Amino acid sequence: MRMPAGLDIERVYDEHAQPLFAFLLNFTRDEADTRDLLQDIFVKLAREAKLLADVRDERAFLIRLAHNAAIDLIRRRGARERTKENFAVETISIFARTNDPDEKVFHEELAFALGDLPEEQRAVVHLKLWEELTFEEIAVALDISPNTAASRYRYGLDKLRDRLRPIYEEMK
Amino acid sequence: MNTDDLEQKLSRLSLRHIPAKWRGEILDAAISRHASCVTRHSFLSTLNHQLSTLLWPHPKAWAGLAAVWMLIFCLDFSMRDTTPIAAEKAASPSPEVMVELKQQQRMLAELIGSSQARDAESPRFFPLPRSERVEILMT
Repeated sequence: MRMPAGLDIERVYDEHAQPLFAFLLNFTRDEADTRDLLQDIFVKLAREAKLLADVRDERAFLIRLAHNAAIDLIRRRGARERTKENFAVETISIFARTNDPDEKVFHEELAFALGDLPEEQRAVVHLKLWEELTFEEIAVALDISPNTAASRYRYGLDKLRDRLRPIYEEMK
Repeated sequence: MNTDDLEQKLSRLSLRHIPAKWRGEILDAAISRHASCVTRHSFLSTLNHQLSTLLWPHPKAWAGLAAVWMLIFCLDFSMRDTTPIAAEKAASPSPEVMVELKQQQRMLAELIGSSQARDAESPRFFPLPRSERVEILMT
């Protein structure tokens, strides 16, 4: 399914949709919103095929698109939606299901802890831990300085460690 | 708890997979939107091309012509008298005016009639040939 302007939308989807999905789900905490945002991104790419033409790092560019779209969505949400977001933390997890009860508890607690992080810290933590981006790459993707990315990561990880320490100690 | 341990544990966690059915839905939406966009673009680009072909040889002349037309429209619009007074005057003249008009018509008729009568009374002058005029003088 090649686009006339030269953009192979299927290739872009196959290479980048999965990480974008996880990033957006961690950000929005809502599967329907994640789907809408992901579709908006691909519609935008299809409409403006030139967007990716001169891009050196497709992943970083797409993460930036996703980040901006998620920020816009969260700003649009009212107080009622924020309540929904907090409630959704209990049910929506970005992690694959596991049959191990300890792991399951750890996943749930981690989902809560991630939901409590400020969005900017959550984004950096996600990209560093699960996309394995360097701070320089994160800085490019989120349009911040590498030092800011590093400090946000440290703060975020400290909060996760404090929150997860009891469970983690039990599991060891 | 060592931070490195936690980092390693967290980074080893596998993330949820994107639902498989989303692929078709999202790609269909993207491609159909792209197709409608291309159709709209092609129509606009065709129109643009046609207009460019038509107007390109003498763009200043076309612009001047357009400006003249605009000026004509503006002048025409500004000179249009849409005041109700003019319309009222044209519609129903007052009785005094009617009397005055009739008087004027009568006077005109009298004047015309008198001039016609004077014309009838006085014979019209036809110049004679010069030789005949000399004979008259001699006699």
